[in-house]
Amino acid sequence: MKEAAKARTPTVFIVDDDEAVRNSLRLLVRSVGLTATTFGSAQEFLGAYNPADPGCLVLDVRMPGLSGIELQQQLNLRGAVIPVIFITGHGDIPMAVEAMRQGAFDFLQKPFRDQELIDRIQRALEKDRSNRAALLERGRIRERRDSLTPREREILELVTSGKPNKIMAADLGLSQRTVEIHRARVMEKMGATSLAQLVRMMLDLRESH
Amino acid sequence: MTSPAQANGDFQALLDASVDGIVLIDQDGLIQVFNRAAEGLFGYPAADVLGHNVSMLMDAEDARVHDEHLKRYLQTRVAHVIGRGREVIARHRDGTLFPVYLSVGCVSGSQPARFVGFVQDLTARRSGEEQARRLQERLWHVARFATLGEMASGIAHELNQPLTAIANYAQACDRLLAHPEADIAEIRLALKETAGQAVRAGDIIRRLRALASRTPGAPRSTDLNALVSELVELLKGDLRAHEIDCRLELAPALPSIHAQPDQIQHVIVNLVRNAIESLVHNEPARRELTLRTKGTAEGGVELSVCDNGPGVGPQILPRLFDPFSTSKETGTGLGLAMSRTIVRQYGGTLNYRPSAAGGACFVMCLPPPQQDRV
Repeated sequence: MKEAAKARTPTVFIVDDDEAVRNSLRLLVRSVGLTATTFGSAQEFLGAYNPADPGCLVLDVRMPGLSGIELQQQLNLRGAVIPVIFITGHGDIPMAVEAMRQGAFDFLQKPFRDQELIDRIQRALEKDRSNRAALLERGRIRERRDSLTPREREILELVTSGKPNKIMAADLGLSQRTVEIHRARVMEKMGATSLAQLVRMMLDLRESH
Repeated sequence: MTSPAQANGDFQALLDASVDGIVLIDQDGLIQVFNRAAEGLFGYPAADVLGHNVSMLMDAEDARVHDEHLKRYLQTRVAHVIGRGREVIARHRDGTLFPVYLSVGCVSGSQPARFVGFVQDLTARRSGEEQARRLQERLWHVARFATLGEMASGIAHELNQPLTAIANYAQACDRLLAHPEADIAEIRLALKETAGQAVRAGDIIRRLRALASRTPGAPRSTDLNALVSELVELLKGDLRAHEIDCRLELAPALPSIHAQPDQIQHVIVNLVRNAIESLVHNEPARRELTLRTKGTAEGGVELSVCDNGPGVGPQILPRLFDPFSTSKETGTGLGLAMSRTIVRQYGGTLNYRPSAAGGACFVMCLPPPQQDRV
């Protein structure tokens, strides 16, 4: 119970090779009541990070070893959805552009006003929350779909591709009445109240592939 | 056959054609012959010096030494100065002293002994040397400032770190203090860190000033390890900006060197900057730079700056240390040439070899300080 609660607290992960910058960022994040964890290198972070942990990542673009951009690429490869806020020095605009192109959430030039960073962190955490909610919902839909019988799955495919009951009945060699019963079962099992909702669910699943 | 009078005339013509001053003295040091060049050199007409002691043409110390040499030779017939040239300080009629190169010969078969001195004015050569030295010094200033210019963006990056930390700490403290039950201990710690970061920024500026100071320091006993660490601190921003993993392997208890610290630092900056520029060709995760110091068998010190970049191409290698041979678009082509000039000035060497990692390795060797240095 306690573990579950802990896992739900979003964490601001801070990765910066400069100890003073790292520690001051942690204090700044904690001063607004958020939880922060710091890492001195991208490798260190990758070693400790569990993609199931909610939160956001505050990352220095330039670091010896694995750079911020490379860490982002690694996370992309692992399918991690954590939003990344890059911190750059001045004159690093091309790098920031590259980071954004690769799917970074936002970037910030240092030194910066605390409010700018905190606003971005809040937005990134919100984004992470909605990402994870969407993921969770998608998982539920998949579970429900997997609970369908082969025949019901067949019906699901045909219904969501827009086939009327009469055509389906003819295609499958079933009576129209049987198709109607199957269709009602599919709607019930999937927790859909309308055809439109069912279609959206299926589109959502397909998108995730 | 020539008559004695004719021989005398020929002899005088020979003497006067010489660009070197020629002074002939007897065994008591009295001047017998004083040619035209000597008149010009010393400012006396021959008539004013003939029969006078030659010491009038020397500064006091050289006159005393000359007297001793003369006496000793007459007693022992062992030559100390005869047949050998040396630099001495001569005295002009107006009292000014000037450097000359003096070669002395004994007039053979002459009894009592007579000596001839050839006097070459070194003033012109000296001023040429002086001018060359001044030019080199100016070139060194130019090169130094060019290097500083190249370092500027890295130093800006490096200064940004403590400034960012200071801003963060101050803003965090402000927020923490707004809490009714603020943790004073935590805030105090943050303030301490803030002050520490201000000192860090100050240190960077101090190092920069030392490197940019116009007055070159006099050669002094210097710790190579300290020079290397100071510089790497200053170059940290640059190294960081280029995502270079820089390692220091400094030998403990390194003998000190006798050198002008800013000149040696200039050499190190050049080598490190060259390495940075070559490492940019590597993937960011594969950019390694190692600075290693060690003592040499001769009691001197050695610094190697090695990278795992592409190394020096065979077409550049033969002219690597030549002035204006640069492979860089923005380089002056003077970095390595200046560096080698500086190192040689201290009797050291600066050489290239491919590094074990396939990159470039520059090795600077400096000899131990000479004990009899004045």
